[in-house]
Amino acid sequence: MRQRLPFIFSEILPPEARFFAEKSPPPLAGARTARLFALLALLTALIFTLAPAPLLAQSSVRPPGNAVTFPDAPEPGPANTLGTRSDAEIWDMIRGGSPRDPGVIFAPTPEGALMTTTGQQWRVLRERYIRKYAGWAPLAVIVLIALFHLIRGPMRLKEGRSGKTLPRFTLTARVAHWFMAVVFILLAISGLVILLGRVLIAPYLGREVNSALTSAAMQGHNLFGPLFILALFWLFVKFVAGNFFHPHDLKWIFRLGGLFGHHVSSRKFNFGEKTWFWLVVLVGAVIAASGVLMLFPWLTDDLRFLQLATVLHVLGAVLLISIAIGHIYVGTIGMEGSLDSMLKGEVDESWAREHHDIWYEQITGKKAHPETPKMKQEGAP
Amino acid sequence: MSFLAFVEGPLFYIAAAVFLLGAAWKILGLIRLGRRPDLAPPRGSAAWGFVRGNLRHFVPRGIFTRRTWLHIVAGYSFHIALAVLVFFGAFHIAFIERLTGLSWQALPRWGFIVAAEIAFAGLIVLWVRRISDPVMRQITRAEDHASTILTFLVMLTGCLALQESHASLRAIHMLFVDIWLLYFPFSRLMHAFTFVLSRGHSGATYGRKGINL
Repeated sequence: MRQRLPFIFSEILPPEARFFAEKSPPPLAGARTARLFALLALLTALIFTLAPAPLLAQSSVRPPGNAVTFPDAPEPGPANTLGTRSDAEIWDMIRGGSPRDPGVIFAPTPEGALMTTTGQQWRVLRERYIRKYAGWAPLAVIVLIALFHLIRGPMRLKEGRSGKTLPRFTLTARVAHWFMAVVFILLAISGLVILLGRVLIAPYLGREVNSALTSAAMQGHNLFGPLFILALFWLFVKFVAGNFFHPHDLKWIFRLGGLFGHHVSSRKFNFGEKTWFWLVVLVGAVIAASGVLMLFPWLTDDLRFLQLATVLHVLGAVLLISIAIGHIYVGTIGMEGSLDSMLKGEVDESWAREHHDIWYEQITGKKAHPETPKMKQEGAP
Repeated sequence: MSFLAFVEGPLFYIAAAVFLLGAAWKILGLIRLGRRPDLAPPRGSAAWGFVRGNLRHFVPRGIFTRRTWLHIVAGYSFHIALAVLVFFGAFHIAFIERLTGLSWQALPRWGFIVAAEIAFAGLIVLWVRRISDPVMRQITRAEDHASTILTFLVMLTGCLALQESHASLRAIHMLFVDIWLLYFPFSRLMHAFTFVLSRGHSGATYGRKGINL
């Protein structure tokens, strides 16, 4: 006989679980039966108390923190045990699928399930994988760049500086670039504090410091987020011209951008710069859209979109931060003369001839190198 | 005494005193410099030129507008939004009320956030223009960067404390406010007051000569 047991429980719970889920045992026939039950209960309690806990621990699956406790649900088990409510099979069935199946993270809600499990899956993905490994990507890039710098050294101008300069970027283009750079750095720092503070700050500086820093980072991140959208739009408008891919870029790819000594002809932007531009624009758009969703969660009533937004936001941001470190290296100490283009808007003619020879020939009408084929052979107009 | 009490109490009073006395001393000093005597007969009103010179500089010159639109937009955005933040932020009004008993209508939170976005955008654009414009780089001194960065830090720490969850964040903001007030009279931040004298001096000189600005 079932008493006040929710219908859905009665449909999905196995018989033994139904017994635990029901509040009261069936009415007893007599005092003897009652004594028998009492004796059995006492014996069971004794076994549970004296037996080694590991042998009796039922499962490592705990109910979610926001699980509803029905008034007629059984009492939790003794201290240091997971209690009767933690039966793995019961929770698996309630969830409507295996909790260890990552395929259900973004799957539609299983029909007939009592609850959605995406929150738990999202939490596991975030805590066990993203938070644990996300910080390694920028660190790995820094190590690789440091090794590259030590082994290969900075890319010097072979001919040295000529003293003559060519205009490369307008003032508004430079301001758009630096505006994005400042906003990006502020967002990267605050975002990494939010993401990794619990792992990197709390153990060393304490939870209180981490709490204050995370609160501050969250406010800063929310504040500069909209400025990132503005910066992204501005950057796109100012730099999209010249950043479309061209068959000529295949040469750059095959020669690995001249990283190992081979000269690669290039227009105003080489394949690496174009790829970086489109990564910033496209991944930045994903980051911006997911950020808006997190800033205004009422824009959707589907929790899975918010969970997906946080995952895409973090992965996109870590990707851009990692590549940005390489971009900063090449733009500053990694390549002689590069920084001039964004600080002064002008570059040395030697730099233009060595790194963007087709562009040099286009704007000056001169040959970049005596051995360089004619512009038309390179596909230039 | 807690650190917060110190930066909101004694240090703030000292900083405010230095700010007020220092700024007043500098302005009076500039006024006392006076003008060179002009022996030529006046062809117009110097007083009207003073007023006209001040007002005229608020409007960009037609022939330069296209080249200077960026810093005009950024300059107005930053200064107006900063003034809105300082005088209409609920936290600032509450602080002023605690000190003086004066109070007025505060911005709603969303209004404060929007003003902060505009102020930050303006300040960042003005600063990056300073580092990427060759002419600006030539006339920029370290002091200009210091003033900009200090102002940025005051704004930033204020916004980072918006959640009002930690006294330490508020204390850091107040510390930067105190440093900013102490630094103000001895830096180019004084342009907040001296721009009136500077523009007025040029306007008065031209006005007396009858030059239509």
